[in-house]
Amino acid sequence: MEKRNPFRKVMAVRGMGQVVTVSVGLVVLCIVFGILNPSFFSNKNVGNLLRQIAPTLIIGIGQSFVLITGNIDLSIGSVVGMSCMLSATMMTKGVNPWVAVLITLACCLAVGLINGELVARCKLPPFIATLGTMTIARGIAQIANNNYNTDSIGEGAETFRNFFYYGKILGLYNTIWIAVVLWLIFNFLLSRTRTGRHIYAIGSNLEASKLSGVNIIRTTNNAYLVSAICACAVGLIICATSGMGTMDAGNSYEMYAVAASVIGGVSTLGGQGILLGTVIGASIWGVLQNGLQFAGAPVAIRNIVIGIIVVVSVLMDVVLRGGKPRRTAKDKTAPAKAAS
Amino acid sequence: MKKALAILMASAMALSLVACGGSSSSAPAASSAAAASSAASTAAKGDTYKVYLITMDQMDQHWVNMDKGCQKAASELGNVDYKWTAPDVKDDAKQIECINNAVADGADAILLAANGPDADVAALKEAQAAGVKIVYVDSPANLPAIKTFATNNEAAGKTAGDQLLKALTDKGVTSGKIGIINTNAATTSTVDRETGFRAAFKDSKFELLETQYSEGDAAKSKDIATNYIAQGCVGIFGTNEGSTVGTGNAIKEDGGDVIGVGFDKSDTILGLIKDGTLLCAMAQNPDKMGYEGIKAAVAALDGSDAGDGSTVDTGVTVLTKDNI
Repeated sequence: MEKRNPFRKVMAVRGMGQVVTVSVGLVVLCIVFGILNPSFFSNKNVGNLLRQIAPTLIIGIGQSFVLITGNIDLSIGSVVGMSCMLSATMMTKGVNPWVAVLITLACCLAVGLINGELVARCKLPPFIATLGTMTIARGIAQIANNNYNTDSIGEGAETFRNFFYYGKILGLYNTIWIAVVLWLIFNFLLSRTRTGRHIYAIGSNLEASKLSGVNIIRTTNNAYLVSAICACAVGLIICATSGMGTMDAGNSYEMYAVAASVIGGVSTLGGQGILLGTVIGASIWGVLQNGLQFAGAPVAIRNIVIGIIVVVSVLMDVVLRGGKPRRTAKDKTAPAKAAS
Repeated sequence: MKKALAILMASAMALSLVACGGSSSSAPAASSAAAASSAASTAAKGDTYKVYLITMDQMDQHWVNMDKGCQKAASELGNVDYKWTAPDVKDDAKQIECINNAVADGADAILLAANGPDADVAALKEAQAAGVKIVYVDSPANLPAIKTFATNNEAAGKTAGDQLLKALTDKGVTSGKIGIINTNAATTSTVDRETGFRAAFKDSKFELLETQYSEGDAAKSKDIATNYIAQGCVGIFGTNEGSTVGTGNAIKEDGGDVIGVGFDKSDTILGLIKDGTLLCAMAQNPDKMGYEGIKAAVAALDGSDAGDGSTVDTGVTVLTKDNI
C-alpha cells in the first residue's frame, strides 16, 4: 500500500470515496449559487457563510462520534438549549461568564455520561435512552430561568460574546476558529489514538470487540461525552450570538447533526465515516441554507432540496458499495491503521 | 442488582407522580388564595359580579400584564369580584376544566383568551346556557360573545411597515431590498403581521424579498438577517421577539445603516432600541385588553350595554428611542 501514488493513498482511507463525491457536489452548489446571485461570493458573505457552517460542523462532529459507535444521540439539540439557558441564566444573575461556562460544561458532560451509561451499561436502545435525556435536557433549559427566556446577558458579558461569536482572529470569526480547534482535537482522537480505534471497532462489530478486550462502556461513554462537549460549545455560541438565553435554542439541531454526518459519509449503522466528511456535510448544509436565501427560494423549496440531498448522498454510498454487505470488524480496522 | 434497580426505578416513578400531583394541586390553591385576597379588597357592596379571567397559561408576561389591566378595571368599578385562573401549561383540556370550574363557582362573566378557535366551544355553550357572559380577550373562539378585545395583527404589521417606510424616506432612500423574518407559515398572528407589513410597501419602489422562517429562534434569525444584509438589504422586519432580537444583533454587528423594525417588548429588544440599533418595535397592549374586557363584561351584566359581538382592536404601542 505504501508504494501507491499519493492519490491512491488518500483514497485508501475508509470513507474517502463519498467525501470526494460530495465535495464535488459542494463545489457545484457553490458555483450555481454564485451564478444565481454574484453577491454569494462577496467577501462579506464568505466570512458570514463560514461562521454559519461552524455550529453545524461542531454538532456534526459530536453526532459523528456517536454514529460511528453504532448509536445515535437525539439529545444533542436539547443539550444545546440547556447549555444556552444555563449559561445565560447564570450570567444574568451576575456570575462571571467564564465560571458560568465551566459550570455549564460540567452539566452538559453529566448528560453525556448519563447517555453513555444508559446505552452501554443499562443496554437501553440508544434511540430511547437519548429520547429520554432529550426531553429532560429541554426541561432543564425551560426550568433554568423559571420558564422564561432570559433577559439580556449584559455589558459584563461583552468579552464572552466576542470570544464565541463576534470577535475575529486573523480576519476569521472566532466561531470558525472554535470549530477548527475542536475538529483538530477530535479528528486526532478519532484517527490517531487507541480510543478512536475502539470507537470504530465497537461500531463495526460489538461482539468481536468485546471479545478482543475493548471496554465497551468506557468507549461508548467517550463518544457521548464528545457529543456533549460539542453540544455545549454550540449552546454557548448561540447564547453569545443572541446575547440572551432562549429556551427553544437548538431545537431540531440533532437532525442537522445527523444530516451533516450522513451527507459526509458517516454510516448510521456504525463503524464507518471520517470527520473530514462531516466538514463537507456541514458545509453543504450551510451553503444550501445561505445560498437558497440568496437565490430568493421559498423555504418550502429549501426543505425539499435538503431532504433530497440527504437521501441521495446516502443512496450514492449504497450504490457505490454495490450493495455489498458490511465488512467485518477485522477488515475494517485494517484500513484504519493504514490511514493513520 | 437488577431487582434493586427495578425497585429504585419504581420508587422514582412513584415519587415523580406524587410530585406532579403536588404541583397541580398547589397551583389552584395558590390562585384561590390570591383570589380570596382580591375578593376581600373589592369588598362587596350591593350588586357584586363575579368575573373570571381565563388565559392560556399564567407564566407569560403578556398574561400578567392582562391581569394588571383587569385588576385596574375591577378596582375602579368596585363591584367586581375578580379572579384570574389558567392552566399550568398551554393545554386545551386543562383550559376547558378552568372554564367548567369557573361556571361551577358561580361566575357571572368570563374573560377568555382561547387556546384555539374550536376546542373551548362546547364548554362555552354550556357556560352561556348557565347564563354566563363571555368576553374574548387576545384570541377569540368560534362562538359569538359579548365582545372581543384583541390586537389586529394585520393593522399592527402595517404600522411597522409605515414606520420603516417613513424612516427610509426621511433618509432619502426610495428603493432597495427589504427582508422579512417570520416564525413559520402556520402562526396566524405573525402571518397577519407580515401581510400588513407587505401592504404598507405596495405602492413603493422597494423590493420585498422572499420571507425567511426562523421558528422564532434568535440565533437562526441572526443568521438570516446577516444574510439579508450581505445581500444588500436596506431594511429588515422581524415579526416576533426572537426574529426581532436576531435582526437587531445582525444590524449591530454590521454597524451599517440598515434599518430594523420588529415586534414585542422584552428587555433585550428595549436595549437594542435604546442604543439605536433598532428603529422601533410594536408592542401589544394586553393591559388594555383586560381593562376594556372587564368594563364590557360588567356593562353587559348591569344591562347598560349588551354587546354586539364586535371585535375591538386594542392597537399597538410603537416603542421608540424617545418613549422608552
